[in-house]
Amino acid sequence: MEAKCSDQNGVTVIQVNGEININTSPELKKLFEKQVVKKVLVNLEKVTYVDSSGLATLVDMLKKTKSQGGTLCLAGMPDKIKSLFEITKLDKLFSIFMTQDEALAKIR
Amino acid sequence: MRESGKKKEFRIPSVFSEVQKTSAKVLRFLKPLDLDETACFDMRLCLEEALINAMKYGHKMQKSLKVRLVVEYDTQKVSFLIEDQGQGFKPENIKDCTKEDNLLNSRGRGVYLIRQLMDKVSYNAEGSALHMVKFLKTNRRSHGS
Repeated sequence: MEAKCSDQNGVTVIQVNGEININTSPELKKLFEKQVVKKVLVNLEKVTYVDSSGLATLVDMLKKTKSQGGTLCLAGMPDKIKSLFEITKLDKLFSIFMTQDEALAKIR
Repeated sequence: MRESGKKKEFRIPSVFSEVQKTSAKVLRFLKPLDLDETACFDMRLCLEEALINAMKYGHKMQKSLKVRLVVEYDTQKVSFLIEDQGQGFKPENIKDCTKEDNLLNSRGRGVYLIRQLMDKVSYNAEGSALHMVKFLKTNRRSHGS
C-alpha cells in the first residue's frame, strides 16, 4: 500500500493505492494521525482490496475527525469495495462520493 | 503442507505476514476452477478474515501455534476448514456490527463478512474450527456462451 497526503484548498486529501489490509492499515492510520485536520477526503480509487482491519481503520479515522469537529468523506471507491461498505452498512456512516471532484465540491 | 488431488492442507504460523502469503497459495491451488474476480475476492477475504481471527483470538499471536487450513474443491464448491488450538469462542456472542449502535465498533466485521459472502458457515461445538463453503454455480466463468 502507498498513501500520500496533499492539501487541496484546505481539504486534506489522502490518496491510497493498493491494499488496506491487516498488515498495511497501521501505516494508513499512522499517516492520518500525523495530520491535524478538519476536512479530510480519502481517495480510494486505486484501492484494490480492503479487509475488516481496513474498514476498522477508516472507521477510527472518521471517529477521530468527528471528535475534533471535522468531516471525513470517501471518494472513488471501486464497486467491489463499495459492496463491502454496503454489506456492513458502513455506507450509512460515511459520506461516499463517486469522484474526488464531487467530494471536494461538497466538503469545501 | 500435504497435497492430494483437489485437497490441500496447510499449517500456518500465527503471524499476520503469513496471511496474504497463504491466501495467494490457496488462490493458485484453486486456479483450475477459473474463478471470476468476485469469487476470488470473496474467497480470499473470507479466508484471510478466518486466519486473522484464528491467529489473533485463538492463538493470541503465539507464533509457534499453527493454524490448520484444509482447502478442498470440486466442480460445485470450494470448502475451507480453519482450525486453531485456542479455547474457541461463541459466535452468537459477537455483536451485530450492522446495528446502528455498533457501526462505530472496531470488531465483529470479519465474522459478519464471512457469513455474508460464504454460502455455508458452521463452527464446531468449541468454536475453534470454522467450516465455510462457497458454491460455484453462479461464480464460474461461462465459456463460449
